[in-house]
Amino acid sequence: MEIKRRDFLKFFGGVSGAVLFGNLDDVIAVPEELLERAKNGPKIETWQNTICGLCPAGCGLRVRLIDGIPVSIKGNPVYPVNRGGLCPLGLNALHSLYHPDRLKGPMKRTGAIGSGKWDSMSWDEALTMVKDRLLDLRNAGKAHEVAFLGNEENGLMKEHIRRFMQVYGSPNYYQFSSAQNNTVPYSLLHGHSTVPAYDILNARLVVSFGANFLEEGYSPIYYTKLYSHHEEQRTRYVQIESRLSLTAGNADQWIPIRPGTYGALALGLAYILIREELYDKGFVRDHSFGFEDRVDSSGTRQVGFKNMVLGNYYPEKVEELTGVPSSTILRLGRELGNTGPALVMGDQGTVDNTNGTFAAMAVHSLNALLGNFEKKGGLFFVDDPPFTKSGVAGIDAIARAGLGQIPIGQPNASTFPVTQFSIESFTRNILDGSPYPISVLFLYGGNPLFQSPNHRELADALRKIPLVISLDTLLNETSEHAHIVLPDHHFMERWDEVSNVGTVGFTHVGIQHPVVSPLYDTKQSGDVFMNLAKRIGGSVARAFQFDSYEHELRNALKGVYLSGTGSIVSEGVGTMWIQYLQQRGWQIGQYDSFDEFWDRLVKQGGWWNPIRKQKRWDQVFQTRSNRFEFFSQKLKEAIDTLVAQQGKTGSAQNRERILNELNISARGDNVFLPHHEPVRYDPDMPLHLITFRVLPVRDGQGASLPMMQEMFGHAIHRHWESWVEIHPETAASYRITDGQWVLVQSTMGTIRARAKTTEGIMPNVIAVPFGLGHTSMGRYAKGHGTNPNVIMKNLYDMVSGKPALQATKVKISPAA
Amino acid sequence: MRIRELIALSVILLAGTLQAQEIELPTDPLNGRIVFEEKKCIACHMIGGYGGTAGPDLSRDQYFGSALELASVIWNHAPQMNRKFRLLRMDRPQLTEGEMLDLLGFLYYLRYLGEPGSVANGRSVLNSKGCIACHAVGGQGGTTGPDFKTIQRYSAPLYLVQAMWNHGPAMQEQITKGKMKYPMLSGRDVVDIAAYLRQASTADVEVRLSVGNPKRGRELFDEKRCSTCHVGEGKRKRIEAGLVKIDLKKGVTEVASAMWNHGQLMLQHMQKESIEWPRFDKNEMADIIAYVYFLGFEDKEGNSERGKVTFNEKGCVSCHGGGQGKGPDLRSVKKMNTPVRMIQLMWNHAGDMEDMLVTQNKRWPELSLTEMRDLYSYLRKVSKN
Repeated sequence: MEIKRRDFLKFFGGVSGAVLFGNLDDVIAVPEELLERAKNGPKIETWQNTICGLCPAGCGLRVRLIDGIPVSIKGNPVYPVNRGGLCPLGLNALHSLYHPDRLKGPMKRTGAIGSGKWDSMSWDEALTMVKDRLLDLRNAGKAHEVAFLGNEENGLMKEHIRRFMQVYGSPNYYQFSSAQNNTVPYSLLHGHSTVPAYDILNARLVVSFGANFLEEGYSPIYYTKLYSHHEEQRTRYVQIESRLSLTAGNADQWIPIRPGTYGALALGLAYILIREELYDKGFVRDHSFGFEDRVDSSGTRQVGFKNMVLGNYYPEKVEELTGVPSSTILRLGRELGNTGPALVMGDQGTVDNTNGTFAAMAVHSLNALLGNFEKKGGLFFVDDPPFTKSGVAGIDAIARAGLGQIPIGQPNASTFPVTQFSIESFTRNILDGSPYPISVLFLYGGNPLFQSPNHRELADALRKIPLVISLDTLLNETSEHAHIVLPDHHFMERWDEVSNVGTVGFTHVGIQHPVVSPLYDTKQSGDVFMNLAKRIGGSVARAFQFDSYEHELRNALKGVYLSGTGSIVSEGVGTMWIQYLQQRGWQIGQYDSFDEFWDRLVKQGGWWNPIRKQKRWDQVFQTRSNRFEFFSQKLKEAIDTLVAQQGKTGSAQNRERILNELNISARGDNVFLPHHEPVRYDPDMPLHLITFRVLPVRDGQGASLPMMQEMFGHAIHRHWESWVEIHPETAASYRITDGQWVLVQSTMGTIRARAKTTEGIMPNVIAVPFGLGHTSMGRYAKGHGTNPNVIMKNLYDMVSGKPALQATKVKISPAA
Repeated sequence: MRIRELIALSVILLAGTLQAQEIELPTDPLNGRIVFEEKKCIACHMIGGYGGTAGPDLSRDQYFGSALELASVIWNHAPQMNRKFRLLRMDRPQLTEGEMLDLLGFLYYLRYLGEPGSVANGRSVLNSKGCIACHAVGGQGGTTGPDFKTIQRYSAPLYLVQAMWNHGPAMQEQITKGKMKYPMLSGRDVVDIAAYLRQASTADVEVRLSVGNPKRGRELFDEKRCSTCHVGEGKRKRIEAGLVKIDLKKGVTEVASAMWNHGQLMLQHMQKESIEWPRFDKNEMADIIAYVYFLGFEDKEGNSERGKVTFNEKGCVSCHGGGQGKGPDLRSVKKMNTPVRMIQLMWNHAGDMEDMLVTQNKRWPELSLTEMRDLYSYLRKVSKN
């Protein structure tokens, strides 16, 4: 469908009243029953609170309803994650509810992939078909041939799916979102995979290494709210990034850096801290491992972090690597060491490369040097919500045998030594049918085919699977490959919770509940798996003791109620009150029963507890040494295991071969210390290609909404199309002018977009926004812009297996 | 001593029933925290270490009192507060009657919440009171009562008192049998003991209490038959003589301690009267004490004649006495049926009134508690209720 911008805006001006007054277009599709109610109802206004489900940030929403019909949305002012703030996507969540291309009932594909030929089917027919296949496989001892690829689900839904897969008998439950891969650096340094929260509110200096936390972080609105206090708190922000992102633009200082060298710069700053003795000696002495050189039990001298840094990362050398002037390194290092509290963050730019794990370790080591753990203005670990613990599920012999199989996503011997899953390994193993074929794949949320750099291979892998089942609200590039679609409720129609969003600084549980009855013949996916379990019967059925996901959710929240900690979110219940009362043994709120607690919880939108339990250091650092490990014993153990598996234990040749296969260039003890690994770029390609995500579209799903397409490039007046950011000097050298169509070519292919010349990017680096270029996902997403991941090389972080989205180099030319 | 405390407690209950209740019992006495934050009181005033520093810490004792006592304090420093508003370029918040009630109630109930306990003190109190003669802590101590390590982790000290209270008769029997001294609790004893036991317990879950619900407390007061002795017409008279006012500046746990201390006497009395020992479950003790506590929020009746004198002498009459006065005739204000109504009106017009007094070179009319009470009595009497 062709939509002209002017027409769209004209329509959109009246959209808030459209539902009520019948001024409808196909931009939104409202079922007849609601339309009738809107026309003839008494026009009674109500408000309901829920949690946004359009991205994992979990912001609280207030939904305005007229006669029970949702008509507008704003942020829930008392929900502590977003405090009334919302991103453009959240503000337009109603458009996803009323999206004209929403899946309206179960379907089976009758034509070729992408042909759009689907037949409707009943839920009973669909679930019977799926159940029959699952049961057949299970009875044949092939339960492990079922795989599940989720995305960003967490909390109860994650546990629900895990339980289903476990009792069914498959070890193959994965999340595409790289959630597991993202935490690898932390697990190497801390010994556990909890992502820390950053107390930027109380820090006096925040140095971010490529962490675009105001736009691309786990919860941009939460950090935007914290950031908004920077003037009164007198916090100075320094953003180190190749591109002037939203966060860099709001920082006090932007330091441009070459892609793939963030770790080197961090080590350059570590050099200053160590050399000038500006680091926290007490913390390093008492709570770290591997800082000083030491002699191990075999009498071998092992190089410590201190001497490794002092010998290799002096400012002039770091300048050569990073492009950051040595004077800047000196000044920033001294500022870090002399400002308290000073906090260091690292994400996107740091981790999205083949050397991401080592770079993230280097960045995070600065926090250890500054003694930033579990202190005000530093970083800390949030406690899990006190959910009712679900009992241990009984596993029968079939399930036990299935769970004993090698997981399909497990990297092979010479890749990604400390991770259990990489989309690359998952794809490769399915294509190879090794160690076994996959017969059934569940896809839940996300759009791996659109988001992953190896989309061609993943598409081939999907084609190879006899039964692919998708659970989503819209068809997208990935679910087009499904044989059966089991449509999920929209988040405004379902029961669920969103808890402990990564990096948010307190324990919290947001409650999603049906603000409106389901518009179509859809089901909550949690209920779908319960239904399948009941149909399969036996121990699989017994693992689910409740008759609906809603009741399972209620049961989980009983633990929160009984804990007496925290508070249901409400006006006037800030951190200080909860702390004040908890110190005196009181809980907030008076509830005669769980039902009363539950009703208020649903009404208010959630629960939170900003008071953390005091932790012992061996809880903070769960490494073998119970300390922060500059020298990662876990990584050493993993690589030693790989070497041992190759033949003679510990032989130098085997070690050399393994390190070469892993593409690790460091040798000796340096391998296990935070260090800079050079990225192996294509020598013939002159320009770095980096991508970034914008708030309206995030991981690409926002492109399905017309308003988000309209806002996609609002800052530079680009709408419904992609662009290529290029430095004026670089543009001039290629004779490219602003607004001109250009071709961006890698060894994997070519994309076309308009140039946007800007000083907000390093010379010899180009940036393309991610999110457009869909070939599916509804009428508004399809056919607009370009997807830069299409020309990405299949490169991954050498340790974690996370896709390396900043490791491709390209050339650029004016389009004919 | 014990008789005095018993009597002391009952006087509050008595006072509340004798006087017509004008202020409705709240269900959540801390609701006012919302007003405290939304009206930005917190920007200037600290409570227990949290909040701004431009104004005084409102959790200090001098800011505690009945509704009219608080009103007197607030009124008398209104000009000072107004100067701060101007200095900080803040708007002077206007309050509805409901908001004023919530705010005053909240400030009043801060004492009820008590203070955090000390683990070190708790340990020594536990020893000095002889608790470990019957109870062990991790195997060290007596075995008659349960080992404190194995009991629930009571975060709320009041929960501990409630548990003690519930097994009071059995405990008293053991005390008598063992010829031990009945453990009297004073000051912060229970708070400190609770702090010590809280960290000593190995239980996973902490048991907390909700802040009491005075309305529910009123109902429980009857249900648990407290009213049989404390408010019943005939029997009350028997324990009425020599009453002294209990100190409500203390926290809830200290009030509960006073109850515990008179438990022995009470048990004897109840046995004599064949009344069953009242046991408390869940939040019940907190609710009852919240009710008892509330009774101190309402003021004694003032003297309307003296109030009329105050109205004239403090110069209220010049503006609010009708005729040529600039302000509304306070004597014709509708529904002056609660002191909170008067306080709210006074607060909301304090800004304009100060401006007028400055321009007229007049002093701010300070009002003592007695004058406040009298003034309210007068205005209530003459207003069109």
